[in-house]
Amino acid sequence: MEVIADVISWCLIVPGCFFLVTGALGLLRMPDVYTRMHAASVIDTLGATLLVLGLIVQAGLTLVALKLVFVLALLFFFGPVASHALAQAALHADVKPILAEDRRGRDVDPGPAGSAGSKEEPSS
Amino acid sequence: MFYVATGAVLAALIFAVIRAIRGPTVFDRVLAGNTIGTLAILLLASYGFLTGRPEFLDIGLTYGLLNLIGTFAVLKFFRHGDLAYDIAEDQENSGWK
Amino acid sequence: MILAAAERAGTVEHAAGAAAAVQKDPAMAAVTANAETFVMMILLTLLAAITLAIIRQRNLFGVVILAGIYSFLMASVMIALDAVDVAMTEASVGAGISTVVLLATLYLTDSVEYPRPRSVAIPLFVSLVVGAALAWGTIGLPAFGIADAPIHTHVAPTYIEYSKKHEMPPNIVTAVLADFRGFDTLGETTVVFTAGIGVLLLLQGGWRKSHNSRRDDEDNELDTDGDEA
Repeated sequence: MEVIADVISWCLIVPGCFFLVTGALGLLRMPDVYTRMHAASVIDTLGATLLVLGLIVQAGLTLVALKLVFVLALLFFFGPVASHALAQAALHADVKPILAEDRRGRDVDPGPAGSAGSKEEPSS
Repeated sequence: MFYVATGAVLAALIFAVIRAIRGPTVFDRVLAGNTIGTLAILLLASYGFLTGRPEFLDIGLTYGLLNLIGTFAVLKFFRHGDLAYDIAEDQENSGWK
Repeated sequence: MILAAAERAGTVEHAAGAAAAVQKDPAMAAVTANAETFVMMILLTLLAAITLAIIRQRNLFGVVILAGIYSFLMASVMIALDAVDVAMTEASVGAGISTVVLLATLYLTDSVEYPRPRSVAIPLFVSLVVGAALAWGTIGLPAFGIADAPIHTHVAPTYIEYSKKHEMPPNIVTAVLADFRGFDTLGETTVVFTAGIGVLLLLQGGWRKSHNSRRDDEDNELDTDGDEA
């Protein structure tokens, strides 16, 4: 029984860790704020869910498992809400997404008069 | 197995911190801050299982709520400039409903 | 930076040893010591990186968010050191309240750091000398958390015996804070009180100005703001 629980939790934790690292790597390498949000949301949903499910299988039927269920519900529901709020705020601050037409747009560093966002200028 | 989990969470933390340091706009940094909050909760869970004392998960719940409320407060500031901003009051003052 | 490096090199293993002593199983104790050392090394390095980024950053909005991230990382460090209540306080104050209050301040002032009119050579030299003197002063201290340091063999047993003999408050921590180290508590209370008085003075000055401008319109002679003193 222990072996089955260990096998199941290995099968859940390792993909969870893979998605965590992949999401963080996407956060680092993506070219634009909005695409980075896409990558970071992978951490909140897939990575956290698989990892916490693996930990629940390891914890068995105890109080710790119940707390883990609450943590999972919190992360799973609040993560996308925060992403949505962030995307809406970025859109209101005129941070323009890099579209397919201007594929070679570069990030612009805010100058001395920089405010909440920066204007990303497409290069033709 | 918990070594793998903790190691992966730490690697993700390193990447998120690099993005927080490098990100040109402020929204990059807010996104990285939100991600670091989530990763801190996951670090708490996996580190607790690694050392055999998973009783500190209540703190993880607190972190989750704080993370969300903090992100919302920061974003509300960037948009309206006022923490006491009330959408209904603003609409009726501007005569638009 | 020097202190962070010294801490990493010397005391992390001792801190890990102190926390591992709590574990009842010897195998678990070894795992705890290794895990704590590993996690602490990485987290302290990230803290140092964030601090450097805060120093180099010009845009103050970014600095505020980076300070919030610093608080989250610091709370993780405190969890790794088994101080969970301090971690919760650090997270809620540093990542919650401080970030929001600093942003509120930024909306009243300029959002870019004022460029320095003078060079940084003399302040940098002074801070390096003081930091080196502090680090040199900590060399004479006993290692962190070992069991035969004077504080564990002389000071703590004296507190416990004295408070038991003289019917002091049953919670020894309260007795230490309020009786044995009362002057320290007096100093802290003075600091908090002074800060509160300063804030009240600042707020009252601004409020009186706006109240005076309104008084010209209303021709109101009652002194309703209550500051006859």
